Amino acid sequence: MLSLAKFSLATFACAAAPAFGAAQSFVAPQGEGAFAVSAPHVLVDGKTVVNDALVVVEHGKVREVLDAKQKSKADGLPVVAHDGWVSAGMIAARSHLATRGEVEEPKRALNPQARILDVVDFAHPELQAALRSGITTIVVAPSDSNLIAGQSAIIKTHGRTVLDADAHLVIAPAGSALRINREPTSYPGAMAMLEREFERPMGAVADVAAGKLPVLLEVQDRDELARALDFAAKHKLKGALSHASLAGELAADVKKSGLSAIVGPFGPGTAPRPLDSVLALAKESVPLAFGLEFGSAPEELRWSAVMCARRGLANDHAWNALTSHAAAILGLEKRVGTLRAGCDADLVLWSGPPLELTSRVKGVFVGGVHVWGGQQ
Amino acid sequence: MTLSVVTCAALLALVPVQNDKANKNERRSWTITAERVYTAAGDAIEDGEIVVQDGKIRAVGKGGGGDLKAYAVTPGLIDLSIRIDQGFRSVEQSNEITPQVRALDSLDVYDEAWLRAARGGVTTAMVSVPDRNVIGGLSVVLKTAGAARAAERVVRPDAVLYGAIGSAPSSANHPAFGRPDDFYSRRPTTRMGVEWEWRKSLFDAAVSRQDPKRATPGHEQLHAALDGKLPLMIQAWASQDIRTAVFLVEEARREGWGNPTLIVDAAAEAWREPQLLVRSKAAVVLPPFSPEGRTRDGAFFALDTAAKLAALEVPLALSGHNATDLESRLCYQPGYAMRGGLSFDAALAAVTSTPARLVGVDARVGSIKAGKDADLVLWSGEPFQPTSKVIGVLVDGRLIVDPRPGASLDASPAASNSNK
Repeated sequence: MLSLAKFSLATFACAAAPAFGAAQSFVAPQGEGAFAVSAPHVLVDGKTVVNDALVVVEHGKVREVLDAKQKSKADGLPVVAHDGWVSAGMIAARSHLATRGEVEEPKRALNPQARILDVVDFAHPELQAALRSGITTIVVAPSDSNLIAGQSAIIKTHGRTVLDADAHLVIAPAGSALRINREPTSYPGAMAMLEREFERPMGAVADVAAGKLPVLLEVQDRDELARALDFAAKHKLKGALSHASLAGELAADVKKSGLSAIVGPFGPGTAPRPLDSVLALAKESVPLAFGLEFGSAPEELRWSAVMCARRGLANDHAWNALTSHAAAILGLEKRVGTLRAGCDADLVLWSGPPLELTSRVKGVFVGGVHVWGGQQ
Repeated sequence: MTLSVVTCAALLALVPVQNDKANKNERRSWTITAERVYTAAGDAIEDGEIVVQDGKIRAVGKGGGGDLKAYAVTPGLIDLSIRIDQGFRSVEQSNEITPQVRALDSLDVYDEAWLRAARGGVTTAMVSVPDRNVIGGLSVVLKTAGAARAAERVVRPDAVLYGAIGSAPSSANHPAFGRPDDFYSRRPTTRMGVEWEWRKSLFDAAVSRQDPKRATPGHEQLHAALDGKLPLMIQAWASQDIRTAVFLVEEARREGWGNPTLIVDAAAEAWREPQLLVRSKAAVVLPPFSPEGRTRDGAFFALDTAAKLAALEVPLALSGHNATDLESRLCYQPGYAMRGGLSFDAALAAVTSTPARLVGVDARVGSIKAGKDADLVLWSGEPFQPTSKVIGVLVDGRLIVDPRPGASLDASPAASNSNK
């Protein structure tokens, strides 16, 4: 058990009676008593900052965010006092975390029924690392090395919580899925194969064809993107593009497709062109979120947003792409991505503004449960 | 140094944005005057004028004082064997017979080779599946410049069924590209095997008309080819391979499988037995001329090949094979053919009206007539002469190369920019 009294930079204060015993109920699993986190700045979403605020958590959800005038509503609740920023947990809209590299079935191009959840190791230290960098929700996806790579899953980085066991069907009509030792070895072969699958769709492909299951379209170069957009239009696919680093150069077409874009990861070494592509997508109001690469450090997620902001993406837009827009893309906007009432109490306690690289994560709560931070 | 790299990258990044803006108010109406307008449809017009409106040719006649001037104007050149593809990513190696595979599905219009082709006067081109399969698939005819999306550049999808005879599809008993990491390997391994695959495919296609249960993937395309609705274009450099192509088609006719239309691509040794081509009513696409006549598969390409074929009225087109060296470009090929004895008119036809007709796009391109696409090449002197150069190019009325003095090389905002 962690003692919140030892929470760094925070003193555990009690507005009223239930003295220190409340700390015990607080640390316990969600569903126990309500508590509040106080902070000088609470980032409810990209646009809304409440100063001198209290985030009230009850049953693992955000009950409300109170400003200075409303604080009395929380009278009697135990309070975690934090002297920095509080935000919602970030969302990695694509990752291969906790999979130990088992992200493809190398000998088969078509794996519509393969589920990445079957390989997710909830005890994997990568989830801890993600958590410590402020990421509380992730999409775990099969890699882009098969034409139909399998189904992705959405999980929390703590608590073995599965938000969606079959979130997307990953389809990769891309060079990454072409192999010398099985069909398809080529782009035209890939497209012919996909058309064949969609002619008489079965299983997960049928769900995609019926609009019930979104796709994660893995494409890289613009010619791949253009083909994917044509294919998506023909079969009325819903979902998101992933890895299309120059998608912004066809931003109007992407917008028309209704697909979202999962971009990144970006870092200090990223060339301006893919960053400008993100800006172009933002200008066309294409929903944006950031993703992690195989082997990338979880910190790169926030770096990606910062690199875009540095290139000219509005700060609130960059933050929303890390949180609320990502949640909306995943169809989970009522559950994660903001600190609006009713959302999961996935809180990140920062030392400063989250989009400043000097800011550090000081503590994390997932579903109202304190899972990291303080003196450990 | 760092600063300049960053600046360059930033400028590069701006290109597509500029494209977007420019596309909306892009000028696609011009009046072009030239001392000679070679229409490829009737006699040349002295002191000619071409009025282009919204990307189409509105009128052709006599006149002067247009806003673009050149010594001569020809239709945009057409290359039926442009070979701008993505290598192993364009040929489906999981089978050697893939008639259903579409070259359209591996187009990369962002390849800088397209810009090079357009600058050299090629405005329409056909892309085929690379020659490493016996029957590679369906070729696509498209404009070399213009819209940012491949689909919007296509003039005719699935224009011909393309395959190969010779050493290429049997290059060895291993994948045509890359190394196998398991027992997987390919057939055929010899020319005999290649011929067998061809005959078997056509036979199976004929049989499957009676017995649909025996249909193989791509049988619809093979049926269309047997019926002559979809021209069969076969790469055959050497004499023995041209013979095989001709005999295949003749066998199909003799056996009553159908009446295929044959186009022999890269027919370097067509000069050896031109009567075979006459007899089988085949058309020919010649590869780029090479200085010593040496080409692929040991085939010798004689300079008078085109003249010889033209004398026998074999339909004839010249091609450039995505050559990067200047002298192999399509705009110089008619010059070589003329040096081998071909007339100017026939040489012009071989890069304009004939290729357009062979692949069924002559309603839109291949000659200068009112109503056709405004695909034009402006020349500094007599076309195809070594002392003349391409000074202006229009594709669908868009100025790809600006002939006006002081204009930058790339007038076109629609110029490709590679992502590689």
